[in-house]
Amino acid sequence: MLTLLAYIVAAVLFIFSLGGLANQESAKRGNWLGIVGMAIAIVATLLVPGAKFHWLMYFALAAGAGIGGVMAARVGMTQMPELVALLHSFVGIAAVLVGLALIVAAPRASGGLRVEVFIDVFIGAITFTGSIVAFLKLNGKLSGKPLLLPARHMLNLAALITSVVLAVIFASGGHMWALLAAIAIACLLGIHLVAAIGGADMPVVVSLLNSYSGWTAAAAGFMLENDLLIVTGALVGSSGAILSYIMCRAMNRSIWNVVFGGFGADAPKSSGATAPAAPLGEIHDILGADVAIALAGAKSVVIVPGYGMAVSRAQHVVRELTDVLRARGIQVRFAIHPVAGRLPGHMNVLLAEANVPYDIVLEMDEINCDMPTTDVCIIIGANDIVNPAAETDASSPIYGMPVLQVWKSKLVIVNKRSRGSGYAGIDNPLFYEPVTRMLFGDAKDAMEKVVTALR
Amino acid sequence: MKLGVLREQSPGEKRVAVAPANLERLTKQGWEVLVQTGAGEAAGFADAAYTAAGASIATADEVLAKADVLVMIRAPKADAPALGKLRPGQTVIGQLFPAQNAALVQRLAEQQVTALSLDRVPRITRAQKMDTLSSMANITGYRAVIEASTQFGRFFTGQITAAGKLAPAKVLIVGAGVAGLAALGAAKSLGAIVRAFDTREAAREQVQSLGGEFLTVTVQEAGDGGGGYAKEMSKEFIEAEYALFRAQAKEVDIVITTALIPGKPAPKLWLADMVELMKPGSVVIDLAAEQGGNCDLTRAGEVVVHNGVKVVGYYDYASRMAAVASELFGTNVANFLDELGGASKWHIDVDNEITRGALVLERGEKRELRPLPAKVSAPAAAATTAAPASSLAAPRPASTSSAPKSSGHGHNATPMSAGTKQAINIIGALAALAWLILRFAKPDAIVGGAAFVQHLTVFVLAVFVGWQVVWNVAPALHTPLMSVTNAISGIIIVGGMMVGAASHEGLSTAIVLAILATFFATINIAGGFLVTRRMLAMFRK
Repeated sequence: MLTLLAYIVAAVLFIFSLGGLANQESAKRGNWLGIVGMAIAIVATLLVPGAKFHWLMYFALAAGAGIGGVMAARVGMTQMPELVALLHSFVGIAAVLVGLALIVAAPRASGGLRVEVFIDVFIGAITFTGSIVAFLKLNGKLSGKPLLLPARHMLNLAALITSVVLAVIFASGGHMWALLAAIAIACLLGIHLVAAIGGADMPVVVSLLNSYSGWTAAAAGFMLENDLLIVTGALVGSSGAILSYIMCRAMNRSIWNVVFGGFGADAPKSSGATAPAAPLGEIHDILGADVAIALAGAKSVVIVPGYGMAVSRAQHVVRELTDVLRARGIQVRFAIHPVAGRLPGHMNVLLAEANVPYDIVLEMDEINCDMPTTDVCIIIGANDIVNPAAETDASSPIYGMPVLQVWKSKLVIVNKRSRGSGYAGIDNPLFYEPVTRMLFGDAKDAMEKVVTALR
Repeated sequence: MKLGVLREQSPGEKRVAVAPANLERLTKQGWEVLVQTGAGEAAGFADAAYTAAGASIATADEVLAKADVLVMIRAPKADAPALGKLRPGQTVIGQLFPAQNAALVQRLAEQQVTALSLDRVPRITRAQKMDTLSSMANITGYRAVIEASTQFGRFFTGQITAAGKLAPAKVLIVGAGVAGLAALGAAKSLGAIVRAFDTREAAREQVQSLGGEFLTVTVQEAGDGGGGYAKEMSKEFIEAEYALFRAQAKEVDIVITTALIPGKPAPKLWLADMVELMKPGSVVIDLAAEQGGNCDLTRAGEVVVHNGVKVVGYYDYASRMAAVASELFGTNVANFLDELGGASKWHIDVDNEITRGALVLERGEKRELRPLPAKVSAPAAAATTAAPASSLAAPRPASTSSAPKSSGHGHNATPMSAGTKQAINIIGALAALAWLILRFAKPDAIVGGAAFVQHLTVFVLAVFVGWQVVWNVAPALHTPLMSVTNAISGIIIVGGMMVGAASHEGLSTAIVLAILATFFATINIAGGFLVTRRMLAMFRK
């Protein structure tokens, strides 16, 4: 009874925890509520009447907490996306192990229980391998390009059908081989689903996996008849799903496309016939010192950070630049596109890490209308999110995605490492606009040059 | 193909259509450039500078005879003898103002040349880099302020010195087009208090963005005449305007008027009595002097002193900064030639709206002068800093695309697409139906029975709670939200512990698996919460 009460309290705390994250003021409290809820749940489970634990269980708790703590303390804010993806994989593998442990302990399980175990293990395995692939893609060990096997949709379908057959075999006869085979298929499916997704959709993938890890926990709850797991899993699952949905809508993309790895998969509709074969025009370079001159004469500056800023860890220099400009009485604001970076809210975290006050960090919808009155717009390592083709070129793969209309400002400085295209692999007409000047070079070095020149 | 650069013939014109700095690009386009002797002299470009940059120097007659394309800034007079030396098929490019110079067009037509008028380049975004009117207006606006400060015997900026306090100068700019805005920026950066008057509402934002105060009158009438110019206004409006100007005249030290109506004499805005209301020592800079002037007292090319107020009627501001003006003009020319295919792919494409707009004559045949496109917003401001000059924004086309769909986020829960709504409704209905069936069917008929139904109920409710809670999260907090939910999904640990505690006969396979599961889940919990804490600690106001 007490355990049940504790579980209810924990579930309520989790709900408040998520609610607390709605705004900056209550976010820290939200995190603490989550921690407290989790502690209550764990302690209540440890104190279940009549339960005995092997000493290794306590060791596992201590060791896991230690390892997790060290990981969290060591990780740089730029590696945040990788870490989150990696942590998702732990939930996946844990769910698989719990399912296996349950079925090993209860060989005479009913058909219903077996179905529940099967579902839990299956989603868990997909989450596990999918998260690992996402982790490898995000830290650059795998390329961001989508892996497109021939007839991949057929492969996925075949895998699903086979899994259903295996589920029936397992549920009716309890054959362990069927379950293990299904785990293998699910692992491959997880790898394939994430590998087929192009780089531009990575933020959505990470939050989808987050959602999957919730559904896994909920499935485990059905299996163990534990309402706390069901409630918490459903909370996480639905919140991750909504987050994915919000982002897909921000990119004007169907969520199903991402779930089944559809974007960036088909070549853009315009083949040579309509697409300009030559580059779209001339690119004008600019030197850091000249950027400084332009900034010094500006009244209002907007900075658009992207993944390039994260890669070169330029957020601290960008903060310095912000300080220097603001000290001169120049208005500086940041424009954040919903899918800038590799994670939802990625840029906000990096800027916060560099001590940029969050009240000058604005969302796309808040700042787009101010672009025409902006003197200088600095794009740091962002590409697709400032691509005017999204509004004008119906053949562009990102057509219809709302973008930051930086080309309406009086001067656009684009900082890029090289002349390559963005993560989505699309050429960007912005670079050829008459108001655009390209500042080539690593974001950190380039911004340091600008700051030095300004000083 | 040979490109000929002619010396400007108008008296006092110091500019030249192409500067040595532009030659590199022209050579790249495949042009062989011929420059008339002394063409750049007044702008400070010696013939040697042109030859060093790869051009050949030739006499006027040689240039006229050899060049396939001739560039100039100002149109020659209709009776200029040089016109007789043009040969059929040659191309003439310059600011010809064909609507005002019918006789010249007639003369060029007789010579069967092709004439492209740079002032007719449509004011669309793509053509900004060829817009000589804007690039010259930018210089004019800046220079007008410099000239005003020369004529004005006081400081622009306010100062408090040991020798006394000085009030900042007050500047009124009438007409916030490209030149007006450039003047606004220059005057502002010299420390003056600047106001700008314009009939177009679109100018309001631009004036304010440069730190100017926007003045307009209360008679409701939009003054957008297309092409970045204002249209002529009604009588009531003009009365109200005059009243406003008279009030301002008593206050301001410097007035810069920039009002032009294409193809017509400049509108009279600053009347003699307004000049008389001004303080002695004040200055009126009339940028419309060449088109008859906005001020009653203006005499083109001169400074008139009336009641101690100086009325400046210069019209060669760009020429007074001949070096930079020539370079910018030359860049515009090079961009325009690029649009026509350069020397290698030279082609006058009437389907190209830029070429079509500029085309006055094709081999002597008159082409219809299309009205300038009407859908443009007022010119955007020009940065008068050393920012790249071509960032001088000319009028931009009004956005014809529909406003992009806003990306819905938490606070403003935007309506979902109809399809999604329908899907949710269908899923909801199905879930309710399933629940009813499960709830009232015989328990043993269903897998799991009544307990399962309870769990399902809890599950569905929790999904909705999660749904409700997350919509309100600020996008900036999406990463912390994700890492918290990730940590919370570590609740699977409870499953691991439950299975691990279910039996107690030492270490079975099941126990080992459960312990491993617990271990992984713990990593996730500790890592997730700690990382979130670190992240949130960084956010500060």
